[in-house]
Amino acid sequence: MSTSKAKILSVGTANPPNRYSQLDILELFRVANPTVRAMFQASHIEGRHLVLPEPDDDGVPREDQETLLRKHRKWSLILAREAIDRALSAQGLTTADIDYLCCITSTGLMLPGLTAMFIKHLGFRVDCHRADVVGMGCNAGLNGLNPTANWCAANPGRNALMVCCEVNSALYVYDDAITTGVVNSLFGDGCAAVLLRGEPATDTGEPVPQLVDFYSHIIPDAWGAMRYDWQSHHGKFAFYLDRDVPYVLGIHAETPINGLLQRHGLKRRDIHHWIIHSGGKKVIDAIKYNIGITAHDVRHTVDVLRHYGNLGSGSFLFSYQRLMAEGTVRRGDRGVMMTMGPGSTIETALLQW
Amino acid sequence: MYTTLSFEESGEIARVTLTNERITMAMVRDLTAVCDHLEDDSACKVVVFQGQGGCFSRGIDFAEFRPDEPMDIHGFNKWEKICVRIERLPKATVALVDGACVGGGAQLALVTDAVIATPEATFQFNEVHLGFLPGMATFRLAKHVGLGRAKRLIMQCPVVTATEAFSLGLVGEVDPDLDSALARLIAAFGPNHTVAVTLARRLLNESFSTDFENGIGNFLAAQHRAIHQTPFLDTIKKHRDE
Repeated sequence: MSTSKAKILSVGTANPPNRYSQLDILELFRVANPTVRAMFQASHIEGRHLVLPEPDDDGVPREDQETLLRKHRKWSLILAREAIDRALSAQGLTTADIDYLCCITSTGLMLPGLTAMFIKHLGFRVDCHRADVVGMGCNAGLNGLNPTANWCAANPGRNALMVCCEVNSALYVYDDAITTGVVNSLFGDGCAAVLLRGEPATDTGEPVPQLVDFYSHIIPDAWGAMRYDWQSHHGKFAFYLDRDVPYVLGIHAETPINGLLQRHGLKRRDIHHWIIHSGGKKVIDAIKYNIGITAHDVRHTVDVLRHYGNLGSGSFLFSYQRLMAEGTVRRGDRGVMMTMGPGSTIETALLQW
Repeated sequence: MYTTLSFEESGEIARVTLTNERITMAMVRDLTAVCDHLEDDSACKVVVFQGQGGCFSRGIDFAEFRPDEPMDIHGFNKWEKICVRIERLPKATVALVDGACVGGGAQLALVTDAVIATPEATFQFNEVHLGFLPGMATFRLAKHVGLGRAKRLIMQCPVVTATEAFSLGLVGEVDPDLDSALARLIAAFGPNHTVAVTLARRLLNESFSTDFENGIGNFLAAQHRAIHQTPFLDTIKKHRDE
């Protein structure tokens, strides 16, 4: 095994300033449908940071696709500036020290992409290598982390930064449909930046995890379970989430976990920390009972969902940040990262502290 | 291989005989190795825990403590971890109790799925009278016998006879012939449906500490897993064929 595997050095996160309880949103937009109201109130989410418009006189916000795209661009930059600054200052670095930049988003299409915008505005060098991962959904954080970690392993001692930037309020559609209610009650806005560097293992200081391996799994039979649909009557994209998503993800969760662990001769009991995407209450339950992990194992996943909602691709990094802040991780511990999303996809990574 | 217990496995039964009357860290290590084997390599249906020579277990071995050394909580944590692993084994578990089942021994019996006792069996949570706590029996016992009875058992430390333990619900059956009682119990456990057994037990264990809203979410996740396993699919096929 290579001695210069990528290590996670720090994570920084940011959210927009306005936080709304589920009830706040129901009142702001005068949601009347009792099924949708019940969904908001039973969704195991206490609040979410969002960038919401003022409603018109009839309680409905008027945001066309152009407004939404501008919102995505504006808030991506605001949130990324803050998250990146937090991740880098933790290591005494600036954006000029970054040699590889990978940006993830699924909540707005831009050309040029986020990496180009961040280089223009945030002080990255113009010779910074870059990659934009666009439209891969909630699992994309690990799809981006895999090549970023490989780049680090191939370029020991150099700094790579991955930024997951999701402005889910730039996707909102307002109507009375149940599927719209599911989406509008679940997603929140947030950005997470993670700093990686390939270095040989050292024996001093705080526990720092090495990214040991990745294992992917896609479920082509559930290709359409999570998707963007163009809705001409709204004139914008709407996110569709099939009601069977939690169960489909749950029943397949064992496959990549077994694949990942078997490759390293590990059992599930050898994993001390589970860092799982906060997809939703039912998704978390399905994962818990299908891979046999406990409520304690998903405490940060549940907590991130409760406090922020589903933050898309960066959610798992919010959980990772909470795990590290807890101070319970010890050198030698192992962890598994797991993200789920459209495809349908389950991505996993093995960590070793 | 094991120094504090013996392990034998034949067909659907694996048998763990505690050969030490007292629970030591060596026994915790042995039980951990037994659990590794049962989780990874065993096709058995039922795991039986028993003592020998008219004693199930007398509980923790105080010889491992030194009054002049700092007290260490981590050994207690290791004991709790092995209890949880036994409680969650992907097998039905049984305690066969003859004679004294005291302290940690009673805690061990409490994490199994069924207890069979001889009329000579006695149960006691004696820890509080010795100045410490009966582990997570403080969490589990009230679920089995109710809060008032648990307070009596844990705070007054009575020696409970097999008959009384039966009426409290700690023991499922009292029979001088443990082997035939065990054979009946194994038959009663029915087919070896590991996933259904493990999930049903997990939901039951969680039932007292989960609210209904979370409980039903947990149930649906577990049920979805169960109905996609071979045993349930076979049940449907069989029903169709009839």
